[in-house]
Amino acid sequence: MIARMLLAVIAAGLIAGVLMTGVQQARLVPLIEHAEIYENGGHDAASMQTPGGLHLVTPAYAHSGEAHGHDGSNTRLFGVDRYAGSIMANLVVGAGYALLLAAVVLLTGNTITARTGVLWGAGAWLAVHLLPAFGLPPELPAMPAADLTARQIWWLSTVAASGAGIYLMAMRPEGWAKALGVVLVAAPQIVGAPQPPTHESPVPAGLAAAFAASALATTLFFWLVLGGLMGLFTERFATEEASARAS
Amino acid sequence: MAHRTLTSSFPLTLSDRLVAGLAALLVGSFLIYGAGLSHAQTLHDTAHDTRHSYGFPCH
Repeated sequence: MIARMLLAVIAAGLIAGVLMTGVQQARLVPLIEHAEIYENGGHDAASMQTPGGLHLVTPAYAHSGEAHGHDGSNTRLFGVDRYAGSIMANLVVGAGYALLLAAVVLLTGNTITARTGVLWGAGAWLAVHLLPAFGLPPELPAMPAADLTARQIWWLSTVAASGAGIYLMAMRPEGWAKALGVVLVAAPQIVGAPQPPTHESPVPAGLAAAFAASALATTLFFWLVLGGLMGLFTERFATEEASARAS
Repeated sequence: MAHRTLTSSFPLTLSDRLVAGLAALLVGSFLIYGAGLSHAQTLHDTAHDTRHSYGFPCH
């Protein structure tokens, strides 16, 4: 029963991941590819593109600072192409976030339905995307950034604290819980995210702004679909279990 | 709170709920770490566009 229910959760995540792939390819990947032209000061722009605009080497490979892929080697898992890599990653992220959301719902003794699922998804988006974006907005390749590990630690702490804070504010009636929630949401923003020495960047500001806004919008779409589907699937699952027990 | 009857979704006993919740937490964290946070070059390159799209700290 546990396994079946977790499979329903994972199914919601996989569907959200597939839908996210479409939105991502339409709205985000073109901006990422545009920004990659400015990587390494734009010197790679000519060598990376054929006249038809096709990438000869993967920009993901080129920007790793290694041999710019002139040997044509593929550094992705199973040697897949860029698009397949994104699909795989989106499925993994979809299933992963679905399981984490389900873990929160289960361990806090709550339930989720199709209607409340959308709200759970919106709350998760606030904690995982919007609140961390105050310190670390979704960034394009070639943009300056502080040390990766330091940013990851701030990001993880902010997601955890924001999630707990939003939960306390939204789900607990006590005054102390709401006050603690405010503190938890505000604390990482007061500490502040690790910032690069300078924000000077070869990437045009308009491109960076368009990407940050689009990334937040598409992830909101992802979480609303994920939460809604998870609620729908588990609700149906619960109804079946109840009728099986009644008969 | 733990003993209330759950008639809607997740109709589980307390121990089932704990097992399922912890399993989901563990596997979910593992998946997000691999796709979004691991420094392994292969994982980074495979998930590159996804990492940027989801706003994971990258590079």
